[in-house]
Amino acid sequence: MMDLAIRDIRRDLGRFVLTAAGLGMLMSVVLAMTGIYNGMVVDATVLPDTYGGDLWVVQRDTQGPFAESSRVPSLLVDRIRAVPGVERTRGYMTLSVQQQLPDGETLRFTLAGLSWPDDLGNNLPLEQGRALRQPHYELVVDNALGLPLGTALLLGRDQYTVVGITSGMVSSSGDPLVFASVSDALRIQNDLANEALRLERESRVSRVKRSPYGRDPANLARAGTQGTLPATAPPPVTAVLVDVAPGHDVQKVKASLSQWSDISVYTIDEERELLVKGVIDRARRQIGLFRILLVVISAIVMGLIVYTMTVDKMLSLSLLKLLGAKRRVILRLILEESLLLGLFAYLVALLIGEVAFDMFPRRVLVHDMDRLALLAVVAGISVAAGLVGLRKALSANPNEVLAS
Amino acid sequence: MNERLGKVVLHVEGLSKVYGEGPTRLEALKPTTFNAMAGEVVAILGPSGSGKSTLLTIAGLINPPTAGSLTLNGKLAIKDGQPVANLSTLRRQELGYVFQRSNLIPFLNGEENVRLALEIDGVSHRESRERARTLLDSLGMGGRMKAMPSKLSGGEQQRVAIARAMIHQPSVVLADEPTAALDSSRGRQVMELFRDSAHEHGAAVLVVTHDHRTLDLVDRVLEMEDGVLAEKDVAARTA
Repeated sequence: MMDLAIRDIRRDLGRFVLTAAGLGMLMSVVLAMTGIYNGMVVDATVLPDTYGGDLWVVQRDTQGPFAESSRVPSLLVDRIRAVPGVERTRGYMTLSVQQQLPDGETLRFTLAGLSWPDDLGNNLPLEQGRALRQPHYELVVDNALGLPLGTALLLGRDQYTVVGITSGMVSSSGDPLVFASVSDALRIQNDLANEALRLERESRVSRVKRSPYGRDPANLARAGTQGTLPATAPPPVTAVLVDVAPGHDVQKVKASLSQWSDISVYTIDEERELLVKGVIDRARRQIGLFRILLVVISAIVMGLIVYTMTVDKMLSLSLLKLLGAKRRVILRLILEESLLLGLFAYLVALLIGEVAFDMFPRRVLVHDMDRLALLAVVAGISVAAGLVGLRKALSANPNEVLAS
Repeated sequence: MNERLGKVVLHVEGLSKVYGEGPTRLEALKPTTFNAMAGEVVAILGPSGSGKSTLLTIAGLINPPTAGSLTLNGKLAIKDGQPVANLSTLRRQELGYVFQRSNLIPFLNGEENVRLALEIDGVSHRESRERARTLLDSLGMGGRMKAMPSKLSGGEQQRVAIARAMIHQPSVVLADEPTAALDSSRGRQVMELFRDSAHEHGAAVLVVTHDHRTLDLVDRVLEMEDGVLAEKDVAARTA
């Protein structure tokens, strides 16, 4: 039996291609939504995946540092190092920076601290340059910022030089990541104007004088002159990363640290889960609902298209019935057209994905499984739309041919 | 010479059709009995609303009759107004249709339109192609068989439609005003085709027509009036 569907499509190929292209664009949005969600998960876990560490120590009763804010004293890095089973500790901190460049362009990024000298950034995915070689004034930046090697950047009061360029390193908010030593990051974070420092120092002296300790001039003399009192307390970090020594049980070290009253301790897997479920859960559900909506809309649109295509050839279908065509001839014609429409739309969606998704400002990550899932959805929609058309097609009456 | 020639291929007995009940009751076709033989062309004349199309749709196994029986090529299709065979199969194997408009399938070219009638009955591509080309050649459509219907003239479309109706060698061809959309010379050519094809393929051709100019080409004339079918005097048929 000749292929009636192919011949029908061939008769008005332009219309078929345009219809399929339109549907394909709709499907590409479904694919993009999936890719954006995958990208969000990867972006969100870039930092914990990059830093690693067996345990993440944060402020007591917080789910920091990603799900909520956390501040722990930087001295905690040394305290934890003394715990049996701990091999290495690192301070962790990030801060958002927005910098106005001389040409007027605004540079926005997340600054993350590397714990010099234990962590120089050697595990960063460098595509150009090198990791840090000195504790100060060097930066490793992501290529999304568009800064070439050797760029000098004024952050706070100091000038920093770009020595390395990474790729695909963004924060959970989508901002490119910039790495500096923790001490530089803290310096940039706590950069205060001279006047602010003087006021803070006066304030501290005043607080000391008001206290019972300060009312004794001898004590004040022992503490030194006003000028020698530190202006501010040592700045806190957001978390401390703990590497457990080989041969030691991570859970035991965690249990040991959890007894301390000023901190909460999470394993790296718990931290990832907090991040995915806490930080991007709402966005995930929103994208999920949006995808469902798009699939339903695609199904309705395709159903209407196939129905219209069927109505357009009702006379031909009536004639087929009059000539004694079996039901399966009509069934094949309608379902094959519907499936071909869906398949073509799917290919258009894949093509759009290949060409356009890299141009999106945020990471769009489409896995093979996502493509297969979309293919299954498209097949389902095509069959459903075909059944809508088929219902109409089977109502074709041979009498219509005589009446025409 | 076709072995079917001269045999009764359509036998209608007491066939009637009633629409509605009570005050709206309309007897569109009064009990009708007639035969059609292979190789003959039978014209059915009559004014609009006389019941010609009703007879055609019942004979074509499209609409069921209210009463009566119908036999196609020796196969009993309807008895006491009820189908007693697979009508779809009988339509596919024993009947051919030609309409006022050619009603060719617009997405198939001329050859494919003709092949379709064979292929829906399970004939292979190769055989259907050979038979369609041979038949279209014999109808003078050899050079135009690949053209799409929209590129064919009215006369060419009607030739393709006749080829489609004849290709599977049905025992009966039903034609509903096949020359109505054609000028007189093309109408005459079409009727000549019916006559020649009926003889060559051994089919009875029932032609519903208003066109008296071509009645000299038919073998018998039946006249329908108010649902009653009657044989018309041969001598008077062209009057």
